[in-house]
Amino acid sequence: MSEVMINLRRSPRKLLERDGHPGPGPGQLALILARAGVGKTAFLVDVGLDALLSGQKVLHVSLDSTVERVRTWYDDILMEMLRSEKKLEHASALELEIEKRRHIHTYVGHSFSTERLRDAIALLRDVMHFEPAVILLDDVNADTLTAEKIESVKAVVEEFGAELWMACQTFREGPQAEAGHLPPPADQFEDQVDLAFQLISQDRKVRLHVLKDGSEMLDEDLHILLDPKTQLVTVGYST
Amino acid sequence: MSHEIQRVRNIGISAHIDSGKTTLTERILFYAQKIHAIHDVKGKDGVGATMDHMELERERGITITSASTYLEWKDYHLNVIDTPGHVDFTIEVERALRVLDGAILVLCAVAGVQSQSITVDRQMRRYNVPRIAFINKCDRTGANPQRVARALRDKLNHNAVLMQLPIGLEVDHEGVVDLVEMKAIYFRGDNGETIEEGPIPADLQVEAEAARATLIDAASMFSDDLLEAALEETVTPELIREAVRNGVLSLEMTPVFVGSAYKNKGVQPLLDAVNAYLPSPLDPPIEALDLENDNAAVSLESDPSKQTVVYAFKLEDGRYGQLTFVRVYQGTLAKGDTVYRASTGKKIKIGRLVRIHADDMEDIPRAEAGDIVGLFGIDCHSGETFFGDGPRLAMTSMHVPAAVISLSVTPVDSKAQNNMSKALQRFTKEDPTFRVRLDPESGETIVSGMGELHLEIYVERMKREYKAEVETGAPQVAYREAISQRGEFNYVHKKQTGGSGQYAKVVGYLEPIDEAEYEFIDKIKGGNIPTEYIPACDKGFQAAMEKGRMIGFPVVGIRAVLLDGNSHAVDSSDMAFMVAARSAFRQAFTKARPRILEPVMKVEVEGPGEFQGAIYRTLMQRRGNVLGSTEDGGFARVEAEVPLAEMFGYSTDLRSETQGKAEFTMEFAKYAPAPSEVTKELREKYSGQVAEEDEK
Ligand SMILES: Nc1nc2c(ncn2[C@@H]2O[C@H](COP(=O)(O)OP(=O)(O)O)[C@@H](O)[C@H]2O)c(=O)[nH]1
Repeated sequence: MSEVMINLRRSPRKLLERDGHPGPGPGQLALILARAGVGKTAFLVDVGLDALLSGQKVLHVSLDSTVERVRTWYDDILMEMLRSEKKLEHASALELEIEKRRHIHTYVGHSFSTERLRDAIALLRDVMHFEPAVILLDDVNADTLTAEKIESVKAVVEEFGAELWMACQTFREGPQAEAGHLPPPADQFEDQVDLAFQLISQDRKVRLHVLKDGSEMLDEDLHILLDPKTQLVTVGYST
Repeated sequence: MSHEIQRVRNIGISAHIDSGKTTLTERILFYAQKIHAIHDVKGKDGVGATMDHMELERERGITITSASTYLEWKDYHLNVIDTPGHVDFTIEVERALRVLDGAILVLCAVAGVQSQSITVDRQMRRYNVPRIAFINKCDRTGANPQRVARALRDKLNHNAVLMQLPIGLEVDHEGVVDLVEMKAIYFRGDNGETIEEGPIPADLQVEAEAARATLIDAASMFSDDLLEAALEETVTPELIREAVRNGVLSLEMTPVFVGSAYKNKGVQPLLDAVNAYLPSPLDPPIEALDLENDNAAVSLESDPSKQTVVYAFKLEDGRYGQLTFVRVYQGTLAKGDTVYRASTGKKIKIGRLVRIHADDMEDIPRAEAGDIVGLFGIDCHSGETFFGDGPRLAMTSMHVPAAVISLSVTPVDSKAQNNMSKALQRFTKEDPTFRVRLDPESGETIVSGMGELHLEIYVERMKREYKAEVETGAPQVAYREAISQRGEFNYVHKKQTGGSGQYAKVVGYLEPIDEAEYEFIDKIKGGNIPTEYIPACDKGFQAAMEKGRMIGFPVVGIRAVLLDGNSHAVDSSDMAFMVAARSAFRQAFTKARPRILEPVMKVEVEGPGEFQGAIYRTLMQRRGNVLGSTEDGGFARVEAEVPLAEMFGYSTDLRSETQGKAEFTMEFAKYAPAPSEVTKELREKYSGQVAEEDEK
């Protein structure tokens, strides 16, 4: 493990833990809900970085990006973190550490299927001895998701003992959330979701709400403001 | 010849090997009446294509010059700049890309988007070069331009939009449907020179209408006028062209054309498209660096009346001496003008100016902003900027990346010796990433560069162009040595026994820096070392850096700080301080946790999905750090960083592991610390060598 360990005071995941909502656990699904453009990818990258910097292995899967672009996300947000922690001198050492523990897997041209994802993870394990503790699934077209599909993806991550974080875009117009349910289209598969958060953009800042934890439906403002670009915590305040 | 700058097009043609770039270029020159007969590439008549004038290139099927050819097409003035397609030639590629305003990306209708297209495309994106695509070889069995257009979208992230539909494919390929004008175009005559227009064939009508709707949809993103016209059903060809041009210039749209260069189909409409959609020198913003003002960016304008700024992007040996290809970025360059070299500030006088045609050249009195011309009688390095009266402007920073690989070249006899030095002199002028030095210990000539192929090409050129028969040693990785923490020195150099003695004392420290190779800071207070000896200390440190103590490779990333010292009124000298500084450096270096840096390459491998595991394995075996993977239909792409030292023989290995179905590209990524096992091994080898030399 790295000699330089950074304690990410600004990671949203740390604050979630503090507030009694730790990660979803192996075989379970955490869902990030937000409207287009609010920063789901940045949030997932924060979660990924946090796991990487605490020594876990991370598989970042994107259905609509290139390896290069995902890498740039990580590099940019890491730089931002280090700048704010005044630890820029560790940048190159940390980047090396991170690259060893992270694998980026992307799909282009509708190549994604649960079966293929399973094969890809198995190949990483069997050939590269790469066994991720956290799997991030980004750029999924949520409109086409069904409870069965989610169930099958969860079965895959369970098989490999990883936890799953996924982002889902909510509608700007059209049907909105009904009381006691996740906002559409996530209401279609809300029973499969173990932990749900919503990013709400407000006055150039992003607020973080917990919508579901375990089987409990909530709508709890975590009183955390995130930077809209990096989704790093700018202030965590209590009421 | 004076012409309006709006009608100048400086373009490149880029392609994966064998997609038909040379054939297409040949046809373009033919239709522009620059050459009088069509010779097929590697053809039976033994005469090669005009552009590909180097025998070596033809043999290898790759283009390594960036010569430029002038032609006219329908009142427009085109300079076709030959863009090298191989990633090993970073500097060459960079220079060619810099002088381009736009490019044609040639793709094979059967093979589609291949590894080199990916690399070259990425480089073009980096340089913000707008592109149009030409899907060639529609006459070949298995041609599927639609699939290739999709691959442009999926693999290269282009917003690729079809501008034409092929009329017939494979042996039936006859012409194209122009979706802007909604008409069919056929190419008749022996060489397709007679264009015949007609109505769209009935069986393509429905498809053409749908494709046109898609085109208008995509293009209306870039023009409100077109958007409005589309709603009111008053779309005109002009509106579409204007919108597409906006899309191309903003690099957000890639119009796609189809045809077959070999069968003379679709080349003239492609030239029309160059005129219609690619930028003129006025379109892209241009910046130069002010060397006297901390390299501050200065905007240039393609204005013939402003300060002259000219960039030399290619040197060629011609019958009349060195021919220097330049692009005029700003101002005017005329015969008899005096300009200055940005690197040295030295004055030069412009002698002959020529325009290069495919088969001859023409003397011209002057060239204006936007032009690409040749100069005779100018002695300079490639990559040099010339500026007219005014601030010292340069088109590029003078930074040259470090070489990563080297090998020894030994001439077989004295004639070869002579020719070799001529060749080396020329090559180092053309390409600053190609370096030559004499190893003082072995007396061997060592050349170094950016990759194995890079050096191989020069060795071949030595043999062919300069008749210099040489033997080469095994390629050596260019390691570096660096320190990882501060290390102090406190060193006295003393020899004071009889006669004139030597005395010098230096105190200070070394520390690692990222931003530069070397920095010297003098913090001596009160003249403990007299100022006249300070340069000698600086020199001593630099001399020590030439050969590190770990494995004898150059040391980089050092800040040497001199804090204190002492001198002797009689026995101190420049020599004494130089020796002291050199030894002090060694003392501090050992304390500063030195380490070896090795060059690491970014490697991309692509092959059928079933070989993904095999590809992973080949990279893992070579200390590769796999960064990511991509699934693309049935194909898999793997990106990794691999130490250069492990990449020798990779192509053979990859071929045998994947039944020859995978290919790879690589380019220099960075220098990184070598792991401890590798360090240990290198050090053992080095001490063995040193011991051996001591015995001699
Ligand atoms: N069938 C067919 N062959 C072509 C076409 N264009 C080029 N070729 C052939 O493909 C091979 C490679 O072409 P060349 O122009 O040398 O490609 P380059 O390596 O990209 O310069 C040659 O044998 C050409 O004759 C085409 O449109 N159709």
